[in-house]
Amino acid sequence: MKARDAARSALAMTVAFLAIPAPAADDPAQRKDLAAVIALNGQACAEVLSYEEQGKNDFVATCKDGNRYRVYVSDAGRVVVKKLGM
Amino acid sequence: MARGVGILFALLLGACATPPAPPHSVPEAPGVPEPQAQAATAPAATAPAATAPKKPAAKPALAKAPAPAPTPAAQAVAPMLDLKSLEQQLKATKAIGVLTKLSLKNQVDDLLEKFRSFYAGRLPPSLTELRGPFDMLLMKVLSLLQDGDPVLARSIHASREALWGILADRESFQKLA
Repeated sequence: MKARDAARSALAMTVAFLAIPAPAADDPAQRKDLAAVIALNGQACAEVLSYEEQGKNDFVATCKDGNRYRVYVSDAGRVVVKKLGM
Repeated sequence: MARGVGILFALLLGACATPPAPPHSVPEAPGVPEPQAQAATAPAATAPAATAPKKPAAKPALAKAPAPAPTPAAQAVAPMLDLKSLEQQLKATKAIGVLTKLSLKNQVDDLLEKFRSFYAGRLPPSLTELRGPFDMLLMKVLSLLQDGDPVLARSIHASREALWGILADRESFQKLA
């Protein structure tokens, strides 16, 4: 019985750990790069407050005004900026 | 990516390597050759400014034997030599991030495609209509560089007309492409 409980709590802890979203990365150079790319693509973003790396060359950036943008490199080699909303 | 960025850098830095040419008229329709005289006079017009501090030292040499006028071939090759070093300078700059460089490359590719269309005889856009996007793209580059790499930004800014001259001249553009 004790072994089963221990297994359950270990499983629960693992699930809880995996469910926690990855903390936003905080590289100032990357934030600046993302802000520049968003602006280059015609969207307003004075400053990127935080961003999450979804994969290689794939980011979700949160701007100072609360807007969120997905910035990624397409298969064709183009930088794509998609507005995700607030 | 490397090729596109190379073209961007070649464009930007090619202009940096070329002394700023005086404003000149550009052909409005494909196939109209640009007067070669303008290209030939451009270095001469800027030469005094570039060599002004060394004028006294240069005088005796000029008195002995005047330097031969550069041939058109030499004029065409000289900027290409500088392109390499300047290309590396822009590639190495920390003022622009990787994603920004790639995004700029996309926009340069788009602009070059419009020029290709123009030279292929597909109108619009006309050359006059291409000046707006060109200026806008250059403005973006300058705004990205001016804080992090002001020297390079100034160099590109000073070369604006020379850069446009490369794009607006069919032969120069085809050499570039």
